Amino acid sequence: MKIAVGGKGGSGKTTVAGTLARVLAERGQRVVALDDDSNPNLAVTLGVSQRTAASLPAIPRDWLEEKPDPDGGTRLELKVPAEDFIDRFGVSAGQNLTLLVMGQPSHGGSG
Amino acid sequence: MRGVLRGLVSTTSRMTVVDLEAGLEHLSRGTARHVDTLLLIAEPYFKSLEAAQRSFALAKDLGISRIYMVANKIRSPRDEATVREFAGRHAVTVAGVIPYDPAVVEADERGTAVMDQRPEATCVAAIRRLADQLLTPVA
Repeated sequence: MKIAVGGKGGSGKTTVAGTLARVLAERGQRVVALDDDSNPNLAVTLGVSQRTAASLPAIPRDWLEEKPDPDGGTRLELKVPAEDFIDRFGVSAGQNLTLLVMGQPSHGGSG
Repeated sequence: MRGVLRGLVSTTSRMTVVDLEAGLEHLSRGTARHVDTLLLIAEPYFKSLEAAQRSFALAKDLGISRIYMVANKIRSPRDEATVREFAGRHAVTVAGVIPYDPAVVEADERGTAVMDQRPEATCVAAIRRLADQLLTPVA
């Protein structure tokens, strides 16, 4: 199941997303929680400190490759299997649960 | 970079929970392609419900298969009735009703997870029920 959680700012969407991810992991599901918000704070609702979340290593360029886009441009794609990527660049948020942050500055260089 | 990470959602065998950008603009085709279940969090007042309903219509157009409203910060039976009445009128399914819970504010202030701060909190119980419902196969 691939769940996305949306809502207006202040609706509590991040608290719901984080707590839901924790509960699903507790139920024995292997879960990846992804923070797609440009003001990322999913970490806290998962019980991961902001400092830990911000200390993720930058993604090395050779893990990525440029592929032509149907729209005429190019887009970046992963050259490694998703699981390897998650293991390397995710933050553990307890058993069965890994956090990935999309909007964080150290990822910014590659767009 | 975001595209790369969104692509992960499709390719990983793990269950994923994506905390989307606030507002409507997140519901692009790019996001929708990778997601099968969308939870729209709404508070029991008109503007919030309206925003959720617009997102619902958009998500439906984008072909997301399961779209649910989740009522949050519910303080009274009247709040719940407001959400259910609105959802019923717009043919939106309410997958969860989460009470207003001071434990969330408390956890926020301390910079901790409500799950760690107060695992017995009423809002956590409501999110457990929501999880169970999502995990139940649709008949």
